[in-house]
Amino acid sequence: MGWDRFLVLWCAGWGVVALIGYGMSLAGVTKAQRTVRLTGRIERVRPPRHGGSRTGGISVVVTYRDPASGQQVTVTNDGERGEMITVAWEGREVGLSHPPGRPHSYRFSNTPQEPGRGLGRPSFALFLVYVGLVVLAALDWGWPCALIGFGGPWALMGAVHLPEAVRAKNRRIERLAAMDTVPGHVVAVLKDVGVDEDGDTWTTITPVVSFTTREGTAVTAHCTSNLPDPAGAYGRDVTVHYTPTDPADFTLDPAAEHRSQKRDVTFHVLMCVVLVATAVTGAALL
Amino acid sequence: MNSSTPTAYRPETRTATNLSLGFLTGAVIGASLTAFIGGCVVERTPLIATGLALPAAYGLLFLLATLPHRAREAAVVPRTALAAIESLEAFRGEASDVPVRFELSVAPDDTPAFRVEIRQDVNLVELPDYRRRGIVVVEYPPDRPWKTRIVKRPTPEWEDRAALAQLDSVPGPAMKDETPEGCLSGLLTLLGLLLGTAAVLLLFRADLFDSHDAEGSAPRPSVTSSPSSSPSSSSSTITVTSATGTVALGPGRSMLDKGELREAVESLTQGADRRRALTVVVQNRLLTVVFSPTGVRTAGVDPRSLPYDRVPELVEEAGTTLGVGSPRSWQLTADGVSGSLRLTIVVTGGGGAGTVQTDGQGNVLRRSGS
Repeated sequence: MGWDRFLVLWCAGWGVVALIGYGMSLAGVTKAQRTVRLTGRIERVRPPRHGGSRTGGISVVVTYRDPASGQQVTVTNDGERGEMITVAWEGREVGLSHPPGRPHSYRFSNTPQEPGRGLGRPSFALFLVYVGLVVLAALDWGWPCALIGFGGPWALMGAVHLPEAVRAKNRRIERLAAMDTVPGHVVAVLKDVGVDEDGDTWTTITPVVSFTTREGTAVTAHCTSNLPDPAGAYGRDVTVHYTPTDPADFTLDPAAEHRSQKRDVTFHVLMCVVLVATAVTGAALL
Repeated sequence: MNSSTPTAYRPETRTATNLSLGFLTGAVIGASLTAFIGGCVVERTPLIATGLALPAAYGLLFLLATLPHRAREAAVVPRTALAAIESLEAFRGEASDVPVRFELSVAPDDTPAFRVEIRQDVNLVELPDYRRRGIVVVEYPPDRPWKTRIVKRPTPEWEDRAALAQLDSVPGPAMKDETPEGCLSGLLTLLGLLLGTAAVLLLFRADLFDSHDAEGSAPRPSVTSSPSSSPSSSSSTITVTSATGTVALGPGRSMLDKGELREAVESLTQGADRRRALTVVVQNRLLTVVFSPTGVRTAGVDPRSLPYDRVPELVEEAGTTLGVGSPRSWQLTADGVSGSLRLTIVVTGGGGAGTVQTDGQGNVLRRSGS
């Protein structure tokens, strides 16, 4: 049994998995489709302690209405509960999801989520089939096929998404221009020290910023970018720029954000060019 | 499901299942590693594929087999309760999360209180919050009370209750989440590893070892001289390499002598592996057999299946009836490459060459003379 037969088996196997996955999605029985998705409301925010750990995010108390019984349920984000809540204020709406019939296994998400269609795994299986086909082509027709197979479709996808990326960048720049400015304060600096397998210690510093919006909402948030000297930032006063409709979208340095947005688009274009060049090289070498 | 007497309840040690699973896992790891590395060394795709597919298949089976058990465990609704810290012991290291061993007296609302010993990580900054005789909020699955864990962020209702509560100590030994397997499980896994490796080496020894010999850098010829059984007592030389076998008879003997040819072929095809031949060439005193490469099982013919008894009369027929005057030398070529056996006998003499072609049973198909 040569490599080609093994690859054909690989493609066939993952193709079957993908088909089963898509079938399950059509039938509505995938895990993502059966998950109960609710919207919770933050009732109380417990400010982080200086020197504490960033794992688990900001300690919040969330209430939601159980659809089955109609009662208000109160939960906290104790332990591993899905996405880390890094920006919190009283009254913020967060997403809460749990498997059907198991409300005790709830998980948070920063924004209330739309029900998914469960296409993640079948699409990954399809990707594996694609990888198998590219390797098969490379074996049969020479290794430049791998360059074409890798560069071509990704370049195409990148090119198709480029206009959307540019539009998203323009929207973001508009939002940056429209941000409100309020004073803020670094209320804590969280520190995580860990030891990896080689015995080296690593340290993660996460400053926590607190600011009050024009409407009077007190927001507590992890601030991980654009703060110089984070380790010594405890007690520092900072200027916070935030989007009026969504205080979770805030920054300390709008000019730096502006630059990084432009860099992102440039990077996107560069990647497309590199991928096209890879595909062309592959075609030329064939 | 209610556990009626948690204090007397001992953790269900599914030791036999765990030990056998450990053994099986070791065997799968040993077998797949050996297959993968051996396959890479001798460059055989089936071995490499087996080495990769075996742990994947085992992992999948394992997941599927434990799925109902894990689903049942996840479906159990955990219960919240207050607990008093009887003792705590922190094992400080360099990390900011400190492992702490707690001994707790858990007092649920509607079931009897129990004592449990747990290990949990506590952040360095929060460590002073936990003191002896302090009250904390805990959560535990009712069917496995030894899996209690302290809730670090309780809801406001439980926080208030913990602030006001007074709890008594629960006497007696503490439940522990311990699996007292120790050395035995490690030994069994190691045994499984070794057995898995041995199994693959044994099952695939033909591929791994013999082919390594055959594909070695230079064929190693073995030359043996054996006394023949003919009355002239002259020796025959047998030379065998990895691809060919040659028998050269001593002077005074001929391959046309009765039984000589068959004996020569037998001496080349000794051994357990019945190697097939691509071509067999016989001349006056020389037999040459070109063997099929090892691993190719379909091409070639079995050299013992040729009609050697018919060869002397076929040679004579080619020599006399085809008008070859005074035959000097003859050659028999048996060709099995194409799949169907063809024997070609060419006799050359003073008057030219005569050719007789027969099938595998010695039936004459064609005659020609030059």
